[in-house]
Amino acid sequence: MEPILEISKLIKQFDGKPVLKEVSFSVYPGEIVGYIGPNGAGKSTTVKIILGMIDRDGGDIRLFGQPIESYDVSYKSRIGYVPENADLYETLTAKEYLLFIGELYGMEENVVLKKSEQMMDALGIKESFNGRLASFSKGMRQKVLIISSLLHDPDILFWDEPLNGLDANSVQVIKELLGKLKKEGKTIFYSSHVMDTVEKLSDRILILNDGEVVANGPFEELKEEADGTLEQLFNTLTGFDQHAALAEQFLLAMKGEDADDA
Amino acid sequence: MMRDILGLKKSEKAPVYLRLIDLISFIYTRLGVNYSQMRLILELKMTMDGRRDSALPGFESGRRSDQEKNQFFSSLWVYTLISLFLLFLFAYDNWVFQYTTYFSFLFIMTFSTLLANFSTILLDTKDATLIGTKPVDRKTLGAAKATHVGIYLVAFTLAIGLPVIGFTFYFNGIIAGILVFLLSLLASLWCLGLTLFVYATILKQFDGERLKNIIAYSQISLSVFMVLGYYLVGQIFQVIDPETLLVEMNLSVGHVLLFPMWFVAPFGMLQEGLSTTYIIYTALLIIGTVGLALLFNWNTDKIESNLQKMDSSSTKQTKRSFIERMAASVLCFDPLEKAYFHFGWQITKTEREFKTRLYPSIASALVFPVVMTYTTLTSGEPGVTQSPVTFLYLPYFTMLMIPVLTVSIQFSKNYKGNWVFNLTPNDSKAPFMRAVTKAMLIKILAPLYIAVATLVLYFTGFAYLLQMINGLLLTSVILFLEMKRSVAALPFSRKYAASEANLGCMGTLIFFVPVFIISVIMIVSQSFIPNAEWVILLILVGVNGWWMRKGFNSKAKK
Repeated sequence: MEPILEISKLIKQFDGKPVLKEVSFSVYPGEIVGYIGPNGAGKSTTVKIILGMIDRDGGDIRLFGQPIESYDVSYKSRIGYVPENADLYETLTAKEYLLFIGELYGMEENVVLKKSEQMMDALGIKESFNGRLASFSKGMRQKVLIISSLLHDPDILFWDEPLNGLDANSVQVIKELLGKLKKEGKTIFYSSHVMDTVEKLSDRILILNDGEVVANGPFEELKEEADGTLEQLFNTLTGFDQHAALAEQFLLAMKGEDADDA
Repeated sequence: MMRDILGLKKSEKAPVYLRLIDLISFIYTRLGVNYSQMRLILELKMTMDGRRDSALPGFESGRRSDQEKNQFFSSLWVYTLISLFLLFLFAYDNWVFQYTTYFSFLFIMTFSTLLANFSTILLDTKDATLIGTKPVDRKTLGAAKATHVGIYLVAFTLAIGLPVIGFTFYFNGIIAGILVFLLSLLASLWCLGLTLFVYATILKQFDGERLKNIIAYSQISLSVFMVLGYYLVGQIFQVIDPETLLVEMNLSVGHVLLFPMWFVAPFGMLQEGLSTTYIIYTALLIIGTVGLALLFNWNTDKIESNLQKMDSSSTKQTKRSFIERMAASVLCFDPLEKAYFHFGWQITKTEREFKTRLYPSIASALVFPVVMTYTTLTSGEPGVTQSPVTFLYLPYFTMLMIPVLTVSIQFSKNYKGNWVFNLTPNDSKAPFMRAVTKAMLIKILAPLYIAVATLVLYFTGFAYLLQMINGLLLTSVILFLEMKRSVAALPFSRKYAASEANLGCMGTLIFFVPVFIISVIMIVSQSFIPNAEWVILLILVGVNGWWMRKGFNSKAKK
């Protein structure tokens, strides 16, 4: 099968510091790919480059079988995107915001309104349809963003931390939804810090560390390299094994004692 | 094309500006902009501007209205009022002189408003995440942003120009009237085009931290150029005969770069007939306009594609400087206040939006004194020291910044962070206000004042040291009063919005009257009444001592 997204040797620098060092991977249609890595590893940067928000310094990206530079912006109408930090136009109501996003995708007003109201109903925030986004809790904003990324029935989803701020019940709904979207043939590319979710949900896991892909494969395969959970694997691959010592150090600092004496 | 029909159908209930833009929608379409998308973005932005962001519940002191009303448009009449003074121009019979003064004024006002108040919108990065990820091309987004600012700018320009435009019809005929109206519109678009060009170039050339600094410097230098240009334009004319108000113009090749003059040339032709100078200048105006339009068309998407660079941050070590520490320990009398002092100092150091607002006004506060010093020195009169009074008031120009400063201080990009003030154990508003006022005094006003005062002392001698100190103390008191008057909520707790761009323009107007009177009293009394400076010093030290300890304390609490 031909990959829906193919990235090869992607390079990006900020202020002369390399953020992505020749990142290469492929995503196939109908896959759920978990993209994980420590803070600052370059996860969001990768997604931003794919979406054309920032320019890359090198490498090739093919999406839907063609290099992205060959498209005009229309390819973005096949993408659903949830940004990392729940940035919204807060003075708008949920209705106005969703209507705006829907119309940017070229959808009809009544279609957008119907869809978004039903989707909000399903996520349990229907009564806030006419409420200002500024008054929404973090979880509610996240739901609005998830809805806005699905309004136009896209083929591939890029979700940056989609579970951010959601309560346990909503997380379950979203997890279930991801499974159903997969059955519909959608491709899902998401990042998260919640390891057991990623472990259970993803067909394939990509681990990014310091601008490089350090692991790429189904969890079953990856497990063979290091026993145990994804969390342990993650720690090993990102070279992190001192959590106990660091916690100790933190506590000492809080008490005002010197870590070196301890 | 189908979309246009849709757009027109909607327009029956649409606001005026949207209907006007619908009229020129073909231009956008021709430039490759997706007009219906652009209109949608524009409509949304204007809706948002009309709404105030409700701050944290319980921490805003009143003034929370949910009604939709765009503050910007309803405050424009103030500018019309200010520019009524331009009507004196019609006393002169020289059209070129009339419109040179008019266009210089127009350009300087529009440009400084644009730089200080609308740069934040032009350089906003949020749209890239929320709109740029949808099938909207950069050109459309760029055009939407430019139009958004353009609407405000055109309204602003017309508000300023209204008196002159109106009376031109009456005094100079219909053709001149139409001409001045169209050229005023063009002038505001010029300001926008030039600014966008500068930003696009800088965004393209630079990266990271340096980019942010250079943006700030570019704002300062643009303002300096504007003020200098204003000064140079003034030099072209000489009043030959004050009684008949006859003016002579000495236009030379060196003045070719003063582009406001290009706008004036058509009027020269209209009144005096063709001449080489006027033809060249009119040609320059046309070429310049076409050039700017081309640059704009070429640049709109470039700005968007490079804007994301503004968000990259580098970890630079920051330290509390010596002055900051010194001032904190000398001026702040309790630990809470000290903490707030450092907070205010640091936040204004790192926040780009704050600098964007404030820096242009620093430039104009400094340029006037420098230009005047220069003029006095080069005017050929050897005895500068004989009339020190002309020098003594120069440092007072620093006070021009105070209204802008007190407005800027209310806003922050990170306005949401203000929940932190709810956590502090005791009533924090008064110490917070005191601390921020002190921080601004030491960080921004005092250095500027001292710089100008040193310049003055250099020319007049140290005999006037006491007067200079008194001036600084007066500045401090006025800053306190203005802070008390204009800062309703907590500092750094409001969100930037286009509609509030000219917030404080009324304040500035009201501000000038008493400040001017007090300044005159200060200068005159110190020059003519013996020992007055000692009395004033005592009074001012007393007042300053009071506000630095007790200022901003709420009376209700006691």
